[in-house]
Amino acid sequence: MIKVSNLSFSYTGGGVPVLSDINLEFDQRTTAIIGQNGAGKTTFVKLLKGLLKATYGEILIGEYDVKMRTAAELARKIGLVFQNPNDQIFKRTVLDETMFGLLNIKMGRYTAEKLAVEALELVGLDDKLSMNPHDLSLSEKKLLCIASVVAMDTDIVIFDEPTIAQDHAGKEIIRRIIQKLKEKNKLVLTIIHDMDFVAENFDRTIVFNEGKVLLDGSTREVFSQKDVLEEANVEPPGITQLANRLGLKNTILTVDEFLHECAK
Amino acid sequence: MKSISLFVERESFVHGIDPITKLYYILFAIIIPIILPSFTISAICLGTSIILLIFAKVMRKTLPVYSFVFFVLITVVIIQGLFKPGNETVLLQLGPVAMYKEGLQFALTIVFRVTNIVSAFMILVLTTKPSDLVEALVRKGMSPRIGYVIVSVFQIIPEMMTTMSTIMDAQRSRGMETEGKLLVRIKAFIPLLGPVVLGSLINTKERAMALEVRGFNSRNPKTYLNEEKTYPNSRFIQAVMLVLTVCAVAWRMFL
Ligand SMILES: Nc1ncnc2c1ncn2[C@@H]1O[C@H](COP(=O)(O)OP(=O)(O)O)[C@@H](O)[C@H]1O
Ligand SMILES: [Mg+2]
Repeated sequence: MIKVSNLSFSYTGGGVPVLSDINLEFDQRTTAIIGQNGAGKTTFVKLLKGLLKATYGEILIGEYDVKMRTAAELARKIGLVFQNPNDQIFKRTVLDETMFGLLNIKMGRYTAEKLAVEALELVGLDDKLSMNPHDLSLSEKKLLCIASVVAMDTDIVIFDEPTIAQDHAGKEIIRRIIQKLKEKNKLVLTIIHDMDFVAENFDRTIVFNEGKVLLDGSTREVFSQKDVLEEANVEPPGITQLANRLGLKNTILTVDEFLHECAK
Repeated sequence: MKSISLFVERESFVHGIDPITKLYYILFAIIIPIILPSFTISAICLGTSIILLIFAKVMRKTLPVYSFVFFVLITVVIIQGLFKPGNETVLLQLGPVAMYKEGLQFALTIVFRVTNIVSAFMILVLTTKPSDLVEALVRKGMSPRIGYVIVSVFQIIPEMMTTMSTIMDAQRSRGMETEGKLLVRIKAFIPLLGPVVLGSLINTKERAMALEVRGFNSRNPKTYLNEEKTYPNSRFIQAVMLVLTVCAVAWRMFL
Protein backbone atom coordinates (compact mmCIF):
# COMPACT_ATOMS: atom_id res chain seq x y z
CA MET A 1 0.00 0.00 0.00
CA ILE A 2 2.96 2.27 0.61
CA LYS A 3 6.31 2.05 -1.12
CA VAL A 4 9.20 4.20 0.00
CA SER A 5 12.40 4.24 -2.03
CA ASN A 6 15.73 5.95 -1.32
CA LEU A 7 14.02 8.50 0.89
CA SER A 8 16.24 11.20 2.42
CA PHE A 9 15.20 14.35 4.21
CA SER A 10 16.71 17.27 6.08
CA TYR A 11 14.95 20.28 7.59
CA THR A 12 17.69 22.72 6.71
CA GLY A 13 18.68 22.58 3.08
CA GLY A 14 22.05 20.84 2.97
CA GLY A 15 22.15 20.36 6.74
CA VAL A 16 22.46 17.09 8.63
CA PRO A 17 19.96 14.64 7.17
CA VAL A 18 17.20 13.66 9.62
CA LEU A 19 16.41 10.63 7.47
CA SER A 20 18.83 9.01 5.05
CA ASP A 21 18.20 6.45 2.38
CA ILE A 22 15.06 4.76 3.71
CA ASN A 23 13.64 1.87 1.69
CA LEU A 24 10.43 0.32 3.01
CA GLU A 25 7.25 -1.28 1.80
CA PHE A 26 4.07 -1.49 3.82
CA ASP A 27 1.30 -4.04 3.43
CA GLN A 28 -1.82 -4.67 5.53
CA ARG A 29 0.12 -5.88 8.57
CA THR A 30 -0.24 -3.60 11.58
CA THR A 31 3.17 -2.01 11.96
CA ALA A 32 4.88 -0.38 14.93
CA ILE A 33 7.68 2.12 14.44
CA ILE A 34 9.95 2.33 17.45
CA GLY A 35 13.22 4.06 18.31
CA GLN A 36 14.73 6.74 20.48
CA ASN A 37 13.43 10.29 20.61
CA GLY A 38 14.86 12.25 17.72
CA ALA A 39 15.34 9.15 15.57
CA GLY A 40 13.19 10.71 12.84
CA LYS A 41 9.93 8.77 13.28
CA THR A 42 7.61 11.76 13.29
CA THR A 43 9.46 13.27 10.35
CA PHE A 44 9.02 10.01 8.45
CA VAL A 45 5.24 9.88 8.88
CA LYS A 46 4.88 13.57 8.02
CA LEU A 47 6.65 12.78 4.77
CA LEU A 48 4.23 9.91 4.10
CA LYS A 49 1.38 12.29 4.74
CA GLY A 50 2.76 14.88 2.30
CA LEU A 51 3.17 17.53 5.01
CA LEU A 52 6.90 17.62 4.32
CA LYS A 53 8.51 17.17 0.92
CA ALA A 54 11.30 14.65 0.49
CA THR A 55 14.77 15.96 -0.32
CA TYR A 56 15.56 12.79 -2.29
CA GLY A 57 13.65 9.64 -3.10
CA GLU A 58 10.11 8.69 -3.80
CA ILE A 59 6.99 7.74 -1.85
CA LEU A 60 4.08 5.92 -3.48
CA ILE A 61 0.77 5.67 -1.62
CA GLY A 62 -1.26 3.16 -3.59
CA GLU A 63 -0.99 4.52 -7.11
CA TYR A 64 -0.33 8.11 -5.97
CA ASP A 65 3.12 9.66 -6.04
CA VAL A 66 3.13 11.80 -2.90
CA LYS A 67 5.27 14.44 -4.58
CA MET A 68 2.60 15.10 -7.21
CA ARG A 69 -0.27 15.55 -4.75
CA THR A 70 -1.15 18.16 -2.16
CA ALA A 71 -1.54 17.01 1.41
CA ALA A 72 -5.24 17.82 1.11
CA GLU A 73 -5.69 15.39 -1.79
CA LEU A 74 -3.91 12.67 0.16
CA ALA A 75 -6.26 13.17 3.10
CA ARG A 76 -8.82 10.78 1.61
CA LYS A 77 -6.23 8.02 1.49
CA ILE A 78 -4.14 8.46 4.58
CA GLY A 79 -4.94 9.79 8.05
CA LEU A 80 -2.43 10.95 10.64
CA VAL A 81 -3.08 11.47 14.33
CA PHE A 82 -0.52 14.03 15.48
CA GLN A 83 1.83 13.38 18.37
CA ASN A 84 0.78 16.55 20.15
CA PRO A 85 -3.01 17.04 20.19
CA ASN A 86 -2.55 20.80 20.43
CA ASP A 87 -1.01 20.68 16.96
CA GLN A 88 -4.18 19.19 15.58
CA ILE A 89 -7.11 20.72 17.41
CA PHE A 90 -8.33 24.12 16.27
CA LYS A 91 -12.12 24.07 16.26
CA ARG A 92 -14.30 25.34 19.09
CA THR A 93 -16.32 22.23 19.88
CA VAL A 94 -15.59 18.54 20.04
CA LEU A 95 -18.20 17.80 17.38
CA ASP A 96 -16.93 20.48 14.96
CA GLU A 97 -13.40 19.22 15.36
CA THR A 98 -14.45 15.70 14.46
CA MET A 99 -16.62 16.81 11.54
CA PHE A 100 -13.93 19.08 10.04
CA GLY A 101 -12.23 16.41 7.95
CA LEU A 102 -15.47 14.80 6.86
CA LEU A 103 -16.86 18.08 5.55
CA ASN A 104 -13.60 18.72 3.70
CA ILE A 105 -13.92 15.48 1.77
CA LYS A 106 -17.30 16.73 0.54
CA MET A 107 -19.50 14.69 2.79
CA GLY A 108 -22.99 16.00 3.45
CA ARG A 109 -23.59 17.65 6.83
CA TYR A 110 -26.01 14.99 7.98
CA THR A 111 -23.75 12.02 7.15
CA ALA A 112 -20.73 13.84 8.51
CA GLU A 113 -22.42 14.41 11.83
CA LYS A 114 -23.54 10.80 12.03
CA LEU A 115 -20.04 9.47 11.31
CA ALA A 116 -18.47 11.95 13.69
CA VAL A 117 -20.75 10.93 16.54
CA GLU A 118 -20.04 7.27 15.82
CA ALA A 119 -16.30 7.89 16.00
CA LEU A 120 -16.71 9.84 19.24
CA GLU A 121 -18.73 6.97 20.70
CA LEU A 122 -15.84 4.69 19.86
CA VAL A 123 -13.49 6.74 22.04
CA GLY A 124 -16.09 7.48 24.71
CA LEU A 125 -16.41 11.22 24.11
CA ASP A 126 -19.97 11.22 22.79
CA ASP A 127 -21.22 12.88 25.97
CA LYS A 128 -18.96 15.92 25.40
CA LEU A 129 -20.01 16.96 21.88
CA SER A 130 -20.42 20.66 22.59
CA MET A 131 -17.45 21.07 24.91
CA ASN A 132 -14.47 23.20 23.90
CA PRO A 133 -11.65 20.76 23.07
CA HIS A 134 -9.17 22.88 25.01
CA ASP A 135 -11.09 22.15 28.21
CA LEU A 136 -10.55 18.41 27.81
CA SER A 137 -7.77 16.58 29.63
CA LEU A 138 -4.66 15.63 27.67
CA SER A 139 -5.72 12.01 27.32
CA GLU A 140 -9.18 13.05 26.15
CA LYS A 141 -7.65 15.44 23.64
CA LYS A 142 -5.60 12.60 22.22
CA LEU A 143 -8.71 10.44 21.95
CA LEU A 144 -10.55 13.29 20.22
CA CYS A 145 -7.72 13.54 17.69
CA ILE A 146 -7.96 9.81 17.08
CA ALA A 147 -11.72 10.04 16.60
CA SER A 148 -11.46 12.89 14.13
CA VAL A 149 -9.02 10.96 11.97
CA VAL A 150 -10.66 7.55 12.27
CA ALA A 151 -14.00 9.10 11.29
CA MET A 152 -12.58 9.87 7.84
CA ASP A 153 -12.34 6.13 7.12
CA THR A 154 -9.02 6.26 5.24
CA ASP A 155 -7.25 3.12 3.99
CA ILE A 156 -4.16 4.03 5.94
CA VAL A 157 -4.21 5.32 9.52
CA ILE A 158 -1.06 6.53 11.25
CA PHE A 159 -0.85 7.15 14.99
CA ASP A 160 2.02 9.16 16.45
CA GLU A 161 2.55 8.02 20.04
CA PRO A 162 -1.14 7.40 20.84
CA THR A 163 -0.63 5.77 24.23
CA ILE A 164 1.18 8.71 25.81
CA ALA A 165 -0.83 10.13 28.73
CA GLN A 166 -3.31 7.24 28.56
CA ASP A 167 -4.31 5.22 31.59
CA HIS A 168 -5.24 1.56 31.28
CA ALA A 169 -8.77 2.34 30.09
CA GLY A 170 -7.44 4.73 27.46
CA LYS A 171 -5.02 2.14 26.17
CA GLU A 172 -7.84 -0.40 25.96
CA ILE A 173 -9.80 2.02 23.78
CA ILE A 174 -6.81 2.44 21.48
CA ARG A 175 -6.26 -1.30 21.35
CA ARG A 176 -9.92 -1.79 20.36
CA ILE A 177 -9.66 0.83 17.64
CA ILE A 178 -6.54 -0.73 16.19
CA GLN A 179 -8.21 -4.17 16.16
CA LYS A 180 -11.27 -2.71 14.47
CA LEU A 181 -9.22 -1.01 11.77
CA LYS A 182 -7.31 -4.25 11.24
CA GLU A 183 -10.58 -6.16 10.74
CA LYS A 184 -11.52 -3.63 8.07
CA ASN A 185 -8.22 -4.39 6.29
CA LYS A 186 -6.76 -0.99 6.87
CA LEU A 187 -3.07 -0.40 7.28
CA VAL A 188 -2.33 0.78 10.81
CA LEU A 189 1.07 2.38 11.34
CA THR A 190 1.95 3.45 14.85
CA ILE A 191 4.88 5.27 16.35
CA ILE A 192 5.07 4.12 19.93
CA HIS A 193 7.32 3.81 22.98
CA ASP A 194 5.21 1.32 24.96
CA MET A 195 6.93 -1.97 24.14
CA ASP A 196 4.37 -4.15 25.96
CA PHE A 197 1.69 -2.60 23.77
CA VAL A 198 3.80 -3.25 20.67
CA ALA A 199 4.33 -6.88 21.56
CA GLU A 200 0.65 -7.48 22.15
CA ASN A 201 -0.81 -5.61 19.18
CA PHE A 202 1.50 -5.35 16.19
CA ASP A 203 2.45 -7.91 13.57
CA ARG A 204 5.45 -6.06 12.27
CA THR A 205 7.98 -3.78 13.96
CA ILE A 206 10.47 -1.35 12.45
CA VAL A 207 13.27 0.15 14.51
CA PHE A 208 14.53 3.61 13.55
CA ASN A 209 17.89 4.80 14.73
CA GLU A 210 19.52 8.10 13.80
CA GLY A 211 17.47 8.44 10.64
CA LYS A 212 18.03 4.92 9.38
CA VAL A 213 16.08 1.67 9.56
CA LEU A 214 18.01 -0.52 11.96
CA LEU A 215 15.66 -3.51 12.12
CA ASP A 216 12.56 -4.54 10.21
CA GLY A 217 10.62 -7.75 10.59
CA SER A 218 7.88 -9.54 12.47
CA THR A 219 7.59 -8.23 16.01
CA ARG A 220 8.89 -11.54 17.40
CA GLU A 221 11.97 -11.49 15.16
CA VAL A 222 12.74 -7.92 16.08
CA PHE A 223 12.45 -8.42 19.83
CA SER A 224 14.66 -11.51 19.64
CA GLN A 225 17.62 -9.36 18.54
CA LYS A 226 18.61 -8.09 21.94
CA ASP A 227 22.02 -6.74 20.95
CA VAL A 228 20.85 -4.74 17.97
CA LEU A 229 17.99 -3.29 20.04
CA GLU A 230 20.47 -2.18 22.64
CA GLU A 231 22.32 -0.24 19.97
CA ALA A 232 19.12 1.72 19.30
CA ASN A 233 18.52 2.13 23.04
CA VAL A 234 15.30 0.12 22.87
CA GLU A 235 14.33 -2.22 25.70
CA PRO A 236 12.29 -5.32 24.82
CA PRO A 237 8.99 -5.80 26.71
CA GLY A 238 9.29 -6.80 30.37
CA ILE A 239 7.92 -10.27 29.84
CA THR A 240 10.32 -10.89 26.94
CA GLN A 241 13.26 -9.93 29.13
CA LEU A 242 12.03 -12.11 31.98
CA ALA A 243 11.69 -15.15 29.71
CA ASN A 244 15.12 -14.48 28.28
CA ARG A 245 16.71 -14.27 31.74
CA LEU A 246 14.98 -17.46 32.78
CA GLY A 247 16.69 -19.09 29.83
CA LEU A 248 13.62 -19.82 27.71
CA LYS A 249 14.70 -20.40 24.12
CA ASN A 250 11.75 -18.92 22.25
CA THR A 251 11.14 -15.19 22.20
CA ILE A 252 8.08 -14.54 24.36
CA LEU A 253 5.83 -11.58 23.60
CA THR A 254 2.85 -11.83 25.95
CA VAL A 255 2.02 -13.02 29.44
CA ASP A 256 -0.20 -15.76 28.00
CA GLU A 257 2.64 -17.08 25.86
CA PHE A 258 4.88 -17.03 28.90
CA LEU A 259 2.47 -19.10 30.97
CA HIS A 260 1.95 -21.47 28.09
CA GLU A 261 5.70 -21.98 27.67
CA CYS A 262 6.22 -22.51 31.41
CA ALA A 263 3.45 -25.07 31.58
CA LYS A 264 5.30 -27.29 29.09
CA MET B 1 12.26 28.97 16.21
CA LYS B 2 12.20 31.58 13.49
CA SER B 3 13.22 35.04 14.52
CA ILE B 4 12.02 38.40 13.32
CA SER B 5 14.99 40.24 14.72
CA LEU B 6 17.56 41.24 12.14
CA PHE B 7 20.42 40.85 14.59
CA VAL B 8 23.48 39.13 13.12
CA GLU B 9 25.79 37.38 15.54
CA ARG B 10 29.38 38.32 14.65
CA GLU B 11 32.62 39.12 16.37
CA SER B 12 33.43 42.76 15.76
CA PHE B 13 34.20 45.90 17.68
CA VAL B 14 30.88 47.39 16.55
CA HIS B 15 29.07 44.49 18.23
CA GLY B 16 31.03 45.26 21.37
CA ILE B 17 29.79 48.84 21.65
CA ASP B 18 26.98 49.30 24.11
CA PRO B 19 23.42 49.76 22.80
CA ILE B 20 22.97 53.16 24.41
CA THR B 21 26.01 54.55 22.57
CA LYS B 22 24.53 53.23 19.33
CA LEU B 23 21.30 55.03 20.14
CA TYR B 24 23.28 58.24 20.64
CA TYR B 25 24.99 57.58 17.34
CA ILE B 26 21.61 57.54 15.56
CA LEU B 27 20.79 60.88 17.14
CA PHE B 28 24.23 62.18 16.16
CA ALA B 29 23.86 61.02 12.55
CA ILE B 30 20.50 62.75 12.33
CA ILE B 31 21.36 66.12 13.86
CA ILE B 32 24.81 66.78 12.40
CA PRO B 33 23.50 67.12 8.80
CA ILE B 34 20.73 69.33 10.16
CA ILE B 35 23.17 71.64 11.88
CA LEU B 36 25.53 71.65 8.92
CA PRO B 37 23.39 71.13 5.85
CA SER B 38 26.30 70.93 3.42
CA PHE B 39 26.58 68.11 0.97
CA THR B 40 30.07 67.12 2.10
CA ILE B 41 29.04 66.71 5.73
CA SER B 42 26.14 64.40 4.80
CA ALA B 43 28.50 62.36 2.67
CA ILE B 44 31.02 62.09 5.51
CA CYS B 45 28.32 60.94 7.96
CA LEU B 46 27.04 58.36 5.50
CA GLY B 47 30.58 57.21 4.80
CA THR B 48 31.25 56.75 8.51
CA SER B 49 28.13 54.62 8.95
CA ILE B 50 28.97 52.46 5.97
CA ILE B 51 32.53 51.94 7.20
CA LEU B 52 31.13 50.87 10.58
CA LEU B 53 28.73 48.46 8.88
CA ILE B 54 31.63 46.98 6.91
CA PHE B 55 33.68 46.57 10.08
CA ALA B 56 30.69 44.87 11.70
CA LYS B 57 30.70 42.37 8.79
CA VAL B 58 26.98 42.84 8.21
CA MET B 59 27.13 44.53 4.80
CA ARG B 60 25.35 41.64 3.11
CA LYS B 61 22.33 41.97 5.40
CA THR B 62 22.05 45.65 4.59
CA LEU B 63 21.64 45.09 0.87
CA PRO B 64 17.92 44.20 0.92
CA VAL B 65 17.22 47.21 3.14
CA TYR B 66 19.24 49.53 0.93
CA SER B 67 17.57 48.20 -2.22
CA PHE B 68 14.16 48.87 -0.72
CA VAL B 69 15.16 52.37 0.34
CA PHE B 70 16.64 53.15 -3.08
CA PHE B 71 13.52 51.86 -4.76
CA VAL B 72 11.49 54.40 -2.81
CA LEU B 73 14.03 57.18 -3.26
CA ILE B 74 14.32 56.78 -7.01
CA THR B 75 10.74 58.04 -7.32
CA VAL B 76 11.72 61.10 -5.26
CA VAL B 77 14.64 61.76 -7.59
CA ILE B 78 12.48 61.47 -10.70
CA ILE B 79 9.66 63.63 -9.38
CA GLN B 80 11.93 66.35 -8.00
CA GLY B 81 14.13 66.30 -11.09
CA LEU B 82 11.15 66.76 -13.37
CA PHE B 83 8.74 68.93 -11.46
CA LYS B 84 10.37 70.82 -8.58
CA PRO B 85 9.23 74.45 -8.66
CA GLY B 86 12.27 76.58 -9.39
CA ASN B 87 13.72 74.11 -11.87
CA GLU B 88 15.67 76.17 -14.40
CA THR B 89 18.83 74.57 -15.68
CA VAL B 90 18.09 71.68 -17.99
CA LEU B 91 20.53 68.85 -17.46
CA LEU B 92 19.07 66.18 -19.68
CA GLN B 93 16.49 66.37 -22.42
CA LEU B 94 14.68 63.22 -23.46
CA GLY B 95 12.06 64.20 -26.04
CA PRO B 96 9.46 66.26 -24.24
CA VAL B 97 10.83 65.32 -20.79
CA ALA B 98 13.51 67.43 -19.14
CA MET B 99 15.58 66.71 -16.02
CA TYR B 100 16.57 69.84 -14.12
CA LYS B 101 19.72 70.45 -12.12
CA GLU B 102 18.07 72.21 -9.17
CA GLY B 103 15.54 69.43 -8.62
CA LEU B 104 18.21 66.74 -8.87
CA GLN B 105 20.44 68.51 -6.37
CA PHE B 106 17.58 68.84 -3.93
CA ALA B 107 16.61 65.20 -4.42
CA LEU B 108 20.19 64.13 -3.87
CA THR B 109 20.30 65.86 -0.48
CA ILE B 110 17.15 63.99 0.51
CA VAL B 111 18.65 60.72 -0.70
CA PHE B 112 21.76 61.31 1.38
CA ARG B 113 19.80 62.23 4.49
CA VAL B 114 17.50 59.25 4.33
CA THR B 115 20.27 56.76 3.56
CA ASN B 116 22.26 58.28 6.36
CA ILE B 117 19.48 57.79 8.91
CA VAL B 118 18.72 54.29 7.65
CA SER B 119 22.39 53.32 7.90
CA ALA B 120 22.67 54.61 11.46
CA PHE B 121 19.57 52.61 12.42
CA MET B 122 20.98 49.52 10.78
CA ILE B 123 24.13 49.75 12.87
CA LEU B 124 21.91 49.47 15.92
CA VAL B 125 19.49 46.87 14.59
CA LEU B 126 21.96 44.55 12.90
CA THR B 127 24.59 44.48 15.62
CA THR B 128 22.49 44.56 18.80
CA LYS B 129 20.41 41.77 20.25
CA PRO B 130 16.94 43.23 20.95
CA SER B 131 17.00 41.87 24.48
CA ASP B 132 20.38 43.53 25.14
CA LEU B 133 19.00 46.84 23.98
CA VAL B 134 15.93 46.54 26.18
CA GLU B 135 18.00 45.48 29.15
CA ALA B 136 20.30 48.46 28.69
CA LEU B 137 17.30 50.79 28.50
CA VAL B 138 15.72 49.31 31.61
CA ARG B 139 19.00 49.77 33.45
CA LYS B 140 18.87 53.40 32.33
CA GLY B 141 15.50 53.71 34.02
CA MET B 142 12.91 52.66 31.44
CA SER B 143 9.94 50.88 32.99
CA PRO B 144 10.40 47.09 32.94
CA ARG B 145 6.79 46.83 31.74
CA ILE B 146 7.55 48.72 28.57
CA GLY B 147 10.72 46.69 28.22
CA TYR B 148 8.68 43.54 28.49
CA VAL B 149 6.23 44.71 25.85
CA ILE B 150 9.08 45.37 23.42
CA VAL B 151 10.76 42.03 24.08
CA SER B 152 7.52 40.11 23.78
CA VAL B 153 6.79 41.53 20.34
CA PHE B 154 9.97 39.82 19.23
CA GLN B 155 8.71 36.58 20.75
CA ILE B 156 5.04 36.65 19.90
CA ILE B 157 5.27 37.29 16.18
CA PRO B 158 7.48 34.27 15.41
CA GLU B 159 5.31 32.27 17.77
CA MET B 160 2.20 33.25 15.84
CA MET B 161 3.92 32.28 12.62
CA THR B 162 4.74 28.87 14.04
CA THR B 163 1.17 28.41 15.27
CA MET B 164 -0.07 29.39 11.86
CA SER B 165 1.95 26.74 10.07
CA THR B 166 0.99 24.15 12.70
CA ILE B 167 -2.70 24.81 12.18
CA MET B 168 -2.26 24.79 8.44
CA ASP B 169 -0.70 21.34 8.72
CA ALA B 170 -3.67 20.21 10.80
CA GLN B 171 -6.06 21.53 8.16
CA ARG B 172 -4.17 20.11 5.21
CA SER B 173 -3.88 16.74 6.80
CA ARG B 174 -7.63 16.56 7.08
CA GLY B 175 -8.36 17.53 3.54
CA MET B 176 -8.47 21.29 3.43
CA GLU B 177 -6.72 22.75 0.40
CA THR B 178 -4.16 25.32 1.51
CA GLU B 179 -1.73 25.20 -1.41
CA GLY B 180 -2.08 26.49 -4.94
CA LYS B 181 -4.04 29.43 -6.28
CA LEU B 182 -4.29 32.74 -4.45
CA LEU B 183 -8.02 32.32 -3.87
CA VAL B 184 -7.45 28.91 -2.28
CA ARG B 185 -4.79 30.39 -0.03
CA ILE B 186 -7.02 33.26 1.04
CA LYS B 187 -9.87 30.86 1.74
CA ALA B 188 -7.55 28.79 3.90
CA PHE B 189 -6.13 31.84 5.63
CA ILE B 190 -9.36 33.34 6.98
CA PRO B 191 -10.41 30.45 9.24
CA LEU B 192 -6.85 30.51 10.60
CA LEU B 193 -7.22 33.93 12.15
CA GLY B 194 -9.62 32.84 14.87
CA PRO B 195 -7.50 30.05 16.33
CA VAL B 196 -4.21 31.93 15.90
CA VAL B 197 -5.41 35.10 17.62
CA LEU B 198 -7.27 33.15 20.27
CA GLY B 199 -4.25 30.94 20.82
CA SER B 200 -1.93 33.87 21.31
CA LEU B 201 -4.38 35.48 23.72
CA ILE B 202 -4.39 32.28 25.74
CA ASN B 203 -0.59 32.22 25.63
CA THR B 204 -0.45 35.82 26.74
CA LYS B 205 -2.68 35.07 29.69
CA GLU B 206 -0.49 32.16 30.69
CA ARG B 207 2.66 34.20 30.33
CA ALA B 208 1.14 36.95 32.44
CA MET B 209 0.34 34.44 35.15
CA ALA B 210 3.85 33.00 34.99
CA LEU B 211 5.28 36.52 35.35
CA GLU B 212 2.95 37.29 38.25
CA VAL B 213 3.98 34.13 40.06
CA ARG B 214 7.59 35.20 39.76
CA GLY B 215 6.86 38.60 41.22
CA PHE B 216 6.96 40.82 38.16
CA ASN B 217 4.70 43.36 39.83
CA SER B 218 6.62 43.41 43.08
CA ARG B 219 7.66 46.90 44.17
CA ASN B 220 11.15 45.92 45.19
CA PRO B 221 13.96 46.97 42.89
CA LYS B 222 14.50 44.31 40.27
CA THR B 223 17.69 42.42 39.79
CA TYR B 224 18.99 41.25 36.44
CA LEU B 225 19.67 37.77 35.20
CA ASN B 226 22.75 38.89 33.30
CA GLU B 227 25.62 40.70 34.89
CA GLU B 228 25.89 44.25 33.66
CA LYS B 229 28.28 44.27 30.75
CA THR B 230 30.99 46.87 30.91
CA TYR B 231 31.85 48.70 27.75
CA PRO B 232 35.18 50.42 28.22
CA ASN B 233 34.97 52.64 25.14
CA SER B 234 31.44 53.92 25.40
CA ARG B 235 32.21 56.99 27.55
CA PHE B 236 34.97 57.97 25.17
CA ILE B 237 32.84 57.51 22.05
CA GLN B 238 29.95 59.42 23.58
CA ALA B 239 32.31 62.25 24.57
CA VAL B 240 33.73 62.44 21.05
CA MET B 241 30.26 62.66 19.58
CA LEU B 242 29.32 65.39 22.03
CA VAL B 243 32.44 67.42 21.26
CA LEU B 244 31.84 67.05 17.51
CA THR B 245 28.26 68.22 17.93
CA VAL B 246 29.36 71.27 19.92
CA CYS B 247 31.98 72.04 17.27
CA ALA B 248 29.34 71.73 14.56
CA VAL B 249 27.08 74.19 16.37
CA ALA B 250 29.97 76.59 16.87
CA TRP B 251 30.96 76.32 13.21
CA ARG B 252 27.43 77.06 12.15
CA MET B 253 27.14 80.08 14.42
CA PHE B 254 30.52 81.73 13.98
CA LEU B 255 31.66 80.87 10.48
N1 LIG C 1 10.50 21.50 12.47
C1 LIG C 1 11.77 21.09 12.65
N2 LIG C 1 12.81 21.86 12.26
C2 LIG C 1 14.08 21.46 12.43
N3 LIG C 1 14.44 20.29 12.97
C3 LIG C 1 13.47 19.46 13.38
C4 LIG C 1 12.07 19.82 13.24
N4 LIG C 1 11.32 18.80 13.75
C5 LIG C 1 12.20 17.86 14.17
N5 LIG C 1 13.47 18.24 13.95
C6 LIG C 1 14.69 17.44 14.26
O1 LIG C 1 14.65 16.26 13.51
C7 LIG C 1 15.08 15.15 14.27
C8 LIG C 1 14.02 14.06 14.25
O2 LIG C 1 12.86 14.51 14.90
P1 LIG C 1 11.52 13.67 14.99
O3 LIG C 1 11.18 13.18 13.63
O4 LIG C 1 10.51 14.49 15.69
O5 LIG C 1 11.97 12.45 15.90
P2 LIG C 1 11.09 11.37 16.71
O6 LIG C 1 9.66 11.56 16.32
O7 LIG C 1 11.67 10.07 16.30
O8 LIG C 1 11.32 11.65 18.15
C9 LIG C 1 15.38 15.68 15.66
O9 LIG C 1 16.77 15.84 15.76
C10 LIG C 1 14.68 17.01 15.71
O10 LIG C 1 15.40 17.91 16.51
MG1 LIG D 1 8.00 12.04 17.46
